[in-house]
Amino acid sequence: MSDIAVPGNRAGWRDRLGVAGSVSAGLDARRVLQLILAAIWLLDGVLQYQSFMYTKAFTQMIGATSSGNPVIVAHPINWNATLVQHHLVLLNTIFATIQLLLGLGIAYRPTVRLALAASIVWSLGVWWFGEGLGGVLSGAASPLNGAPGAVIIYALLAVLLWPSDRITASGAPAPFVAARAVGAGVARGLWVVLWGSLAYFALTPASRAPTALHDMVAGMVSGEPGWLAALDRHAAALAGHSGLTASIVLAAALAVIALGVFLPPPAGRATLILALVVAAVIWVIGEAFGTILTGGGTDPNSGPLLALLALAYWPLASATAPPARVLLTDQDTEGTPA
Amino acid sequence: MSIPAWIPDSFAAVMLLVAAVSAGQLGAARAWTPAGARDADIALSHVLMGIAMAGMLVASLTTLPGGAWTVVFAVMTAWFAWCLWRENRGHGVAALARGHHAPHLVHSGAMLYMFAAVAGPATGRGGSGMAGMAGGMQALRAPTLALVFALLLAGYTVRDLDRQACADGYFHVVGRRFTPAGPALATAGAGTVSGTPAAGGGAVATVARAAQAADPAAPAAPPAEPLAERLLLAPAVVKVCRVAMGVTMAFMLIIMI
Repeated sequence: MSDIAVPGNRAGWRDRLGVAGSVSAGLDARRVLQLILAAIWLLDGVLQYQSFMYTKAFTQMIGATSSGNPVIVAHPINWNATLVQHHLVLLNTIFATIQLLLGLGIAYRPTVRLALAASIVWSLGVWWFGEGLGGVLSGAASPLNGAPGAVIIYALLAVLLWPSDRITASGAPAPFVAARAVGAGVARGLWVVLWGSLAYFALTPASRAPTALHDMVAGMVSGEPGWLAALDRHAAALAGHSGLTASIVLAAALAVIALGVFLPPPAGRATLILALVVAAVIWVIGEAFGTILTGGGTDPNSGPLLALLALAYWPLASATAPPARVLLTDQDTEGTPA
Repeated sequence: MSIPAWIPDSFAAVMLLVAAVSAGQLGAARAWTPAGARDADIALSHVLMGIAMAGMLVASLTTLPGGAWTVVFAVMTAWFAWCLWRENRGHGVAALARGHHAPHLVHSGAMLYMFAAVAGPATGRGGSGMAGMAGGMQALRAPTLALVFALLLAGYTVRDLDRQACADGYFHVVGRRFTPAGPALATAGAGTVSGTPAAGGGAVATVARAAQAADPAAPAAPPAEPLAERLLLAPAVVKVCRVAMGVTMAFMLIIMI
């Protein structure tokens, strides 16, 4: 059970890096965010085992996402819904197990790359075949109902939290965690596309209709615990017929968030705090915690993922870990047999 | 249609295995002796949780009435709360969350909640409450708390999985005490020796053998433990048991919402 350093030994390599015996020291900011992502995948997995997912309602839910989509998108969704309906027990159990394994795989250091890569493939598949591209092409997308599809944000996070470091020509450290793997420019571009698209979706006809917000929030009440149902009822009453005003305010906030990533750190932090607040409001009011508390939620929806994304863009106070240490974090394994 | 029976059956089988392994650890460490009693409370809690969860998942595995389990887990929760407070008093809330007993407190608290919050008449043998998930299990009162516990369990589970099994004594092994390697040992071999869980077991033997290799005058290594005991008392086994327990508990909480 001891780690004795010998040349070529992995533990010895760790020792030479000066971190022997301090495993928790390997928990840098990116690893913490990876672990949060792993926990969300794990939760996704156990949610998929719920009784509801073994009923026809689940396949109907999949099939409904084809509505309003172009035929080329809708046809594979309907094919998938039919397939799942015919092999519901087997396929749903496989779905649940895959998601559970993705969570465990990301949490276990030797398999983090494999699990993140698999999560990207899985997310893209589910985004199309299970979520109808998040309603992006059907006109039903709204930032309050999970647009552009929670599952695509999993894929985005897997890319941004990928355990490698892009070395810039100037050797300057990454300004935030999300920039470490893809570079600051690409990371900022992805941020703008995501939050900018949310701002756009907030202003689509389906979102800005006078009673759209009221109807959406009021529709979440059924099956929720008393306190959450009461909260949703109050929020719906507050929205009333002010759907247009609410949409404009929300779109403005989302646009500010989108551009905040280009601001200097103090202002950038303020917009990230705004992003966290908006994510919380979306999760609690708009998504009712992904309707998990009704026993029918397939995932926590987009709120926690948006918050996690915002944390990945939080300006780093100091330079990121030096390459040697990063290498350890990326490739650290169990090391020794127990 | 409810969950296929073989799914809770599989989780129940894993929990019985965890209970059996934990019981084996108590035996292998001779937990009834003063030297072997260290962290026996944790292994005992795993035995009880494994048996209780198996009974909740599969009706035919029910052992005690729900009321009895509620009392057991209330005592266990209070015990781990006290251990955590004793371990971290004066170090703030963050230290409490990171404390070695924090996962055990969350596990026992979740068990207490599950037995105390079943929102309906008993269905299982002996009134265990929620026994037999495949056959349409009972829902829980205050489901928000179930979600909170599930989130905590998911968090601690991925944290447990991320940690190295034998690095810092985080995974309690019955009868073993984590002792950071001393300076003398650090000179053994070509480099350094990291902290090891040790108390008269295989780790000490390994370290002593390494020291002897560096210095033939060093005392001879004590006889190695039998392989079965070494395996049973390995931190990696404790880690796997905890991860399995965390996943199963989160599964049960979500299923019962």
